[in-house]
Parts: sequence; structure tokens; C-alpha cells
Amino acid sequence: MSMVIFVLLRLAPGNIVDILFATGGYVNDADKAAIVRELGLDRPIWVQYVGWLRELASGDLGKSYRYDVPAWQLIRPLIPVTVELAILSTLIAVLIGVPTGVVSAARQDSVVDHALRIFSLAGLSMPSFWLGMVIILALVAGAGWIPPVTYVSASENLPLHLAQFLLPALAVGYRSSALILRMTRSTLLEVLHEDYVRTARAKGQRGWLVVCRHALSNAILPVLTVIGVEFAFLIGGLVVTETVFNLPGVARFLVQAVLWRDYPVVQNLVLFIAIVVILSNLLVDLLYAWLDPRVRYA
Amino acid sequence: MRRFLSTVAVVVLLGVAITAPPWQAAFPLALAQPQRSPAAPARSASPTYGHVLNVMQREDLPQGFAIHESATNSTVWPSLPCFNNLVMFDPGNPLERPDTIVGDLAESWTWRDGHRSLLFSLRAGVRWHDGQPFSARDVKYTFDLLREAPDATVRLRINPRKEWYDNVEAIDAPDPASVIFRLKRPQPSLLMLLASGYSPVYPAHLPPAVLRTRCVGTGPFRLKEWRKGEFVEYVRNPDYFVRGRPYLDGLRYIVITDRGTRFAALQAGRLDVAFPGEGSKTLAAQLTAAVPSMVIREVATKVNDNLLMNVKRPPFDNVKVRRAISYAIDRRAYASAVHRGGAQIGAALPPRPQGAWGLLEPELRGLPGYGSAAEDRATARRLLAEAGYGPGKPLRVEMATRAIALYVDAASFVIGALKQVGVEATLRQIETAQWHPIVTRREFLFGTNLTGIGTDDPDAVLFENYACGSPRNYSDYCDQDVTRLMDRQSQEGDPAKRRALVGQIQRRLEEDAPRPVLAWRLDYFAHWSHVKNLVPHHSVYNWSRMQDVWLDR
Amino acid sequence: MPDAEAVARGAVATGRVEARGPARPGSTLIWFCRRKPLGAIGASMILLMVLTALLAEPLSTHDPIATDAEHTLASPSARHWFGSDHLGRDIYSRIVHGARVSLIVGVGSTVLGSLLGGVIGLLSAYFGGRIDLSAQRVLDILQGLPLLVLALVMCAALGPSIPNVIVAISVPIIPRAARVIRASVLSIREMPYIEAARALGAQHLRLAFRHVLPNTIGPFIVLATAQLGSAVLVEASLSFLGLGVPEPYPSWGRMLSGSAAEYARSAPWLVLFPGIAISLAVFGSNLLGDALRDTLDPRLRGTS
Repeated sequence: MSMVIFVLLRLAPGNIVDILFATGGYVNDADKAAIVRELGLDRPIWVQYVGWLRELASGDLGKSYRYDVPAWQLIRPLIPVTVELAILSTLIAVLIGVPTGVVSAARQDSVVDHALRIFSLAGLSMPSFWLGMVIILALVAGAGWIPPVTYVSASENLPLHLAQFLLPALAVGYRSSALILRMTRSTLLEVLHEDYVRTARAKGQRGWLVVCRHALSNAILPVLTVIGVEFAFLIGGLVVTETVFNLPGVARFLVQAVLWRDYPVVQNLVLFIAIVVILSNLLVDLLYAWLDPRVRYA
Repeated sequence: MRRFLSTVAVVVLLGVAITAPPWQAAFPLALAQPQRSPAAPARSASPTYGHVLNVMQREDLPQGFAIHESATNSTVWPSLPCFNNLVMFDPGNPLERPDTIVGDLAESWTWRDGHRSLLFSLRAGVRWHDGQPFSARDVKYTFDLLREAPDATVRLRINPRKEWYDNVEAIDAPDPASVIFRLKRPQPSLLMLLASGYSPVYPAHLPPAVLRTRCVGTGPFRLKEWRKGEFVEYVRNPDYFVRGRPYLDGLRYIVITDRGTRFAALQAGRLDVAFPGEGSKTLAAQLTAAVPSMVIREVATKVNDNLLMNVKRPPFDNVKVRRAISYAIDRRAYASAVHRGGAQIGAALPPRPQGAWGLLEPELRGLPGYGSAAEDRATARRLLAEAGYGPGKPLRVEMATRAIALYVDAASFVIGALKQVGVEATLRQIETAQWHPIVTRREFLFGTNLTGIGTDDPDAVLFENYACGSPRNYSDYCDQDVTRLMDRQSQEGDPAKRRALVGQIQRRLEEDAPRPVLAWRLDYFAHWSHVKNLVPHHSVYNWSRMQDVWLDR
Repeated sequence: MPDAEAVARGAVATGRVEARGPARPGSTLIWFCRRKPLGAIGASMILLMVLTALLAEPLSTHDPIATDAEHTLASPSARHWFGSDHLGRDIYSRIVHGARVSLIVGVGSTVLGSLLGGVIGLLSAYFGGRIDLSAQRVLDILQGLPLLVLALVMCAALGPSIPNVIVAISVPIIPRAARVIRASVLSIREMPYIEAARALGAQHLRLAFRHVLPNTIGPFIVLATAQLGSAVLVEASLSFLGLGVPEPYPSWGRMLSGSAAEYARSAPWLVLFPGIAISLAVFGSNLLGDALRDTLDPRLRGTS
């Protein structure tokens, strides 16, 4: 996969040197050739690829073409921001999705159920960046206030830090909550129709008790799966949300790096994202296997 | 009992009096609320020291602080506080003219030998931010670097303004406090070029590559931190050679790439100052409606919208076709539609009164696109017919433009206007990375372009954009008569005669229409009223040193 | 992934039942509308979008790319039903034409991705063995990246143009389509009638297309409708970032970026209408997708 990204990037018309000259307002082929040679961009693609692999093997992740500092040095401070945003979004998604899913399943086909399903569907349908934009507009128009535009760390000012992260987390989390609601509802429904639940009800146990004790514990498994998988896919939503809310995260940096054809940075970021996704998938699979010994894998 | 109560009262009153100021600090939101009254008078009329100014930065610095390797205000605007020039335009005067030039690193200067040699006397006791002393050696180094002198040991990786110094024969530094520029032929404009924000003095003791990652200058502010993609932070330079300056404790240039968020941040008070050239008339109205005390100044930007026509390729090798296109576009409608009135019409040089060399209304009226819209369109159709195009055989062209909103808006209008005279134009959007290579290699036929002028002088505009063989003469226009006129005006010492020559050149350029100018952008520069002494010039490039700015909080 | 297998198994089971269903297509439609009103609503929303796209010219009140100096940032009125933008372009007409673009991109990428993925999944499952394993590796890799990130890099590589956007958005759909098809083929492969056919000497490809394919249509349709909504959203995000559909084609996503965002504080209609359009289109496709899934396998009612 790294090869795919590597080749794709170099297929892209224009490279960092073109952009550098664009900011210089002109192009001089002789000067350009010098810089291209200096960066090694004139070597054939496979040579560059092998060179990159060799660098990776020795732990060197390459230097950003744009900033001329090691790529990892640029990426490292951004990771906590994105991770925190992802965690907060997932948390909000779970806090919204699970209870509403439970209610929706317990009151199946009622007005509440339909209303909640439409609410969740709306969350799946809205572009998260649009939601973010609308939130900012409403804030500016109503309160004349927007979250800070530079990163405020938790140790500096906790309330402001939370305010800065809560709104984008809401914008992204709303969408994830929809999926969690649906999954919670569907698995809960399945479980609620199982015999042992009907038996418990017939025995006279109260509705909510039945739901919580018997049904929920069995429904948790698929819900956890969805949560785990969604976590990895949050990155997509974060790309635009970080741009709109001006948060210095990995996703926003990726967009800038792609626009700047900063190959080392893009390659490293994509690799990092892929690793995160694979790890979280692995985690989910392991969790699944651990929690449900009935599952067998080929 | 009564004595006890009155003691308590006194103590309480005293306590309130002592602790009152911090109450304002505890409610910073109050500052961001729309204020009902007009700008309150400064609490103190004279400057106070302290505070950090939050400034808008539209994108991360493309080449760090290397102004000499850049041609975009994204580098100049945040880097100027770090540097000094030999001379500069008076920060307090919006006009930029030869008579508003004041000394910066140079205390005085004299022309000798009929504008052939320029002697500067430099200040003493100036230090670079790393402690090294400044001397004439740095000046010689900088301008030898720029003009790519044969004996220069170092070269710039990218050198956009080499042509500015083509006329410099040699630079002498006879002693640490004097520099002499010796020119090949008289050039009174040299001072205007040296006063531009694009002409700071580089340190001779550091390679130019260093400035791409950090800033070492002589200026009023020292770089504290450049957090890539987020902000650039400066602190006051305690050893600045102008005593008592700067007033501010520091500066923070905050990078916000999303256009919606930028001005929302300004409106909410997270930013104090906007980015020059980004404020349209509509935005200004929006800001004023929300914050009536916001200070908005209408200034010229010295950036124009123009059309590029590749004169070496048909059909634009036919001057009739070029003139027809120029006639088809009603300049006044363009300014009104694309800029909602926030633009001025004018030819190749910035229009008066903000610029010094532009053509005035009466002179413009006879030129293509400046007359009555209906008549001009008829003329356009007639010219096209003469060139062999008409309703049966419409002219089809592909228009190239950069894939940025500013350019695309202009291109959209042009396409609509051309449709009305029977020219069918399609748009081809080109990404930033490819724009300059494509236009430099002339791999286009027709395009919409924006051009910024570094300093209001014909020498900075004409040679770069209209001289035969100049790399940025994208249209490849080459006319011997016009070139001769350009050389003549450059050497002309008498301002009146020079103005006449420049007027003649501008008229010729619009009549030949290789690169018709559509309009000159105006900026509605906004800043909060508590920012004092920030005077935007009629240019986006040359005034952002922030040396005299103070905050009234 | 358990998800796809369950869908496939369920679909196959129901597919056999459906074969004895109502004969006339008209009554199927009525039955569907009555059983699944929400799905019918979703279908009609999609239909509305398709009609808008097809009839863009007669439905528009203005030329979507014509600028109008006199009426910039006009609020919604009789002249400009949804208001006008900063260049005086009519927003209603741009939304109508934007439907065409969104539909082309959404349908195009879904069809392309589903077809390619379907073929890969079919062949991979049918031939099994090493081909299957290596194909699964490749698909894993493609699925390992979030949709938007991959589309981002691809659009930057290929440049902004409608065909490129379609290709870019279709790539992440391929592994999902392949998974679904592969799972259903695997389930069917063991069925007696397939073995019988093979015993009779039928050629592999003929078997694949004549017997196996019809039974995979069900989950395929469900996947396609779900992906349609997702494709519209990704296209909107790409256009918002500046990498999607280029000018002059009006794109709902691009209408939300750039100048619109700047002026939105005093002209909220610039941002509201395109956003609502996107939301409604995706909403409709989600409703339809849900209803179709429910129809094809009641056991999976409400599953994502």
C-alpha cells in the first residue's frame, strides 16, 4: 500500500519545487533543476522507493520538503490533538448513541422510535464540515464568540481547552452516534426477541430490568465492534473539521502536505493513519474473539 | 457601633478601589461584544508599552522568512517586523512616493553624478538579533546576492527580483558606515525599489538558507517561535536601534487557512488585525454591522486583475482579436460585479490618486473597455468580424486560471462578458503547483491573472511584465518602440517629462492589448479600534514592520 | 467481517423466497410503498434528485454561471428564490445544476466501484485458493484507508476534473463491494444445484454469471444505495477542500467553501441551501437503502 501511495504522489503533476517557485512568482528551469537534484526527485521512481524503504528501515522518516525539518518532528506534536479529538468524538457518540439506541429499541415502532431514527439518520446525512460551519456561524452571530484559534492545552486553561475541543467533537460525534444508535437498536431488538428474554418477562420481571440485565450485556458486543471500527474512520470527518475549527491536528496537516506535494510528510502520515486503522481493526477482532468464544476464525 | 460601621465602609471602598482593574481582565468576553457607541477616545493619548498583538496570517509561510526568495505577501507580511531596509516608506503616511521615503538603516543618502551613483550613510551601533554588528558589508552582500554579481560567493535558490537590480554596475563599501551603488545608467527610481518591503537587508554572516527556517534581522522584533502551520511569534527586540521602540511586547501571526473562520475570528476579537488584501467591501460592511467600532480603511492594494493573451499563438497574434476581447469587457461593470465596487479602473500602473503614475479618467475613456458598454461591444463584434469571426464561425478559446476563488471569480465574469460578443470561452482551472510552470513556458492561450506591484514605480512594473524576453512577460509581448520608451523614462530625471512618457506607454499597452488590465483591487483593511498607529499604505507589501504600533487596553 | 456474511446469507435465503413473489412489477411497487413508507419517501427523494438533474435547464430560473453585478448577495426573493451569491449568481439555479453534478459523481462512482469490486469479488470467490488470498490482501489494503484520505491523495494526483473525482471516490468502494459479492458467492458455491451444474460440465464463467450473479443482486443493491449517499458526502468534502469538481460546474460542496463561508454571517442562505441539499440527498439514499435492506432480509432490520 505504501507503494501505491508513493507512486500516486509522484504521478501527481507538479512537485514541491514547482510550488516553491510558485511562491517565488516565476520559474527558472536551471534553478529548478538544481533543487530537484538536491532533493533527489530526478531519480527513477523505483530508486526513490527503495531509498525510502531503506530510510524507513533505519528509522529515518525523511525530511519535509517544505520545512526542511525531519517529518516526524512536525507530525509528533499534532498527534495528541487528533487523538484527543477522536476520543472525545467517540465518547460523545457513545454517550448519545447507546442510550438513544436503548430507548429506541425498547419503544420499537413508537413515535419516539421513529423520531430517534430520523434524528440519527439526519446525523449520517449531514456533512460534518457543514455542521461545524453552522455551529461557528451561530456562535458568532449569537454570542460574538468563537473557540480559540490557536491550540490551548489542557494545562494552560482547562475550560477553554474543553470549549475548543467540544464543538468539533460534537460535529463529528453526531455522525458516529447515528451508527452506534442503529447498531445498538438492532442488536438489542434481536436479543429482546430471544426466548430467554421472553421467559424473563413472562416470569414477571420489570421491563427496564430485563432490558438492562439480560439484553444489554449481550448486545454490547456488536456495539463495541462498531465503536472500534468507527474510531478509525473518524479520520475522514476530522480532515474537514480540523480545517474549519483551525485545530492543529494530523488531518489538517495532511491536507496541507498533499496540496504542497510534500511527499515525505504525506507518506509518513498515510502510513501512520493506516497503522492506526489496522491496529484498531486488530483490537476489535481480538476484543470480539475474547468476548465471544463462539466466534471462530478461518 | 457607628464608628465600627464607617470603618467597615471605608475598608470595603478601599478594597473595591484596589481590586477594580482585575475585574476587566476577568471578563475578556466583554471586549468581544458589539459596542453600541462609536470608537471611544483613547484612554491615554500617548503610546503605552506592553501587550501582544494578534495578527491574521492567511497561510503558513511558504519559504519561512526568506523575503528575497519569495514573491508573495504570505512571506512579507509576517517577516517584515524582523528586518530593516536601507530606506523605507514613512509608516505613518498611506501614500508611497519618493518624498515619503525615510531612512531606516541609512541615516542619509545623496545622489551623485546625475543619478548614476547613490551614496548611503549608515547608522552606527546596529546589531543583528544574534549579536553580530551590522555594517556596510551586509548591505553589499545583500544586493550583490540579489543582482547575482559575478563575484558573489553565494546564490539565492530562487531570485524573483533579479531584474530590479539589472542596472547596478557595482556596490562599494569603502568603510563600515558607507555604501555606494554605482549604476550603469541614471535611474532615479532605485530609491523606490530599495524602500519596498521586498528589499530588506540580509545578514552577511549567515547563508541565505538559514532564513527559510528562522529569522535573523536587525528589526524591532525578534523571532520567538515558528510553530509550523499554526503561528509565528515575536518578542520585542530590547536592543533595537530606534530608542523607545517598539511599543508592543510581542506579535503573534496566527495561521488560519479557512476563509470562513478568518474573519469570524477577527469579529470575535481573537484577532486584532486583518491580513492586507483579503478584505472585500462586503466583508467590511459585515464587520461594521457586527462591530461598529471596528476601524476599516479603504486603501489601494497595487494588485490588479489582468488578462493574459499569448501573442505568439493564433488567434491572439492578431491585434484586432486582442482589442476585441479588451473591448468586450466593460471595466466599470467588472469592478462593480466582481468587486462590488471595491476596485478602481486603470491601466498598467496603479491609478491616481493613490498611485502616482496612473492614467486619469479622461485619458482612459478612449481605450478599449473604458467607453460606453454598448458601443464597446459593437466595436468588439466589428473587430472580430474583421478578423474573420462571427455568428457562423464563433471564436472558441480555453481560458486558464488558477484554482483560487479570487481568480475564478474574475474568470467567471470574463466568460460571461465574452459570451455577449459571441466568443465562447471555457474555463480550465490550474492548481497552484502548475500555474507558474505553465505560464512561464507559455503553455496557455488565454488566461486570467492577478499581478501585484512591489513598489509604485514604472521601473518595477514595466520591465518585469512588458519587456521583450522577460520571464514574467507571460504574453510574450515585444515591441521595440515601447521598449525604447521604457528605457527613456527610466533615465528621465524630470518628473513631468517622465510622467508624460509613462502615460504614453500605458496607452500603447492598452491599445495593443497583450495584457489588458481589468481593475485595480481595493482593500478594506480592518482592525480593532484598540490598535493604534497602524496605518495601512496604498500597497499590501510595504508597511508591516509594526514598529510604532501600540495597543490601548 | 461478520456483517457482510450475515447480509449475504440472509439475502440468499430471502432470494429463494422472493422467486415465488408477486408477478407484476407494478404490484411490487405498491407492496413496497405500503410495507415501507419511509423507504418510499427515500425513493421519492432520490427520484426528485434524479428528475432535477435531468430537467436542470427547464427548472432553473437563471443561468447558473451568469454573474449579475446589480444583485449580489441578494436575500431570497421572488427574483432569486434562494438568494444570490457574492457574484450575483442565482443560488437556486446553481443547486438545481449541482444536483446533476452530484448525481453524476455519486452514481458514476458507485457503479464503477461496485462493478469493479463485484467482478473482483466474484472471480476471487469462484476461483478460490491463492487468487482469493492475494485478492483479499489487496482489498484489505485498500479498505485500510479512510475514504476521504484516499480520495484526497488521488484527487491531488489526478487533478480536479469530474472523471477523476469519480475514479477517486470509486476506489474505496471496490473492497466493500468485493466483500459482499464474495461472501454471497461463497455461500452459494456449496449449494447442490451449482454442484449439479458443474457435474454436467458447465463452464466456469457461464456458471458464475448465470447462476451465481442473480442471487447476489439483493445485497448488491443495498450496498449501492448506501454507497451513493457516502459518495455524495465525500464529493462535497473534496469540493469543500478545493480538490473536487472544478469550476464552472456548480457543486454543492464547493458552494460551501471559499467566498461563501466568508459572507455567510450576513448572508446565511449561501450556506444553508447547499448544505440542506446535500443532507436531503444523502438522507433519501439512506432511507431507501434501509428499506431495501429490510425488505431483502427482515432479520437484519435496523442494522447498519
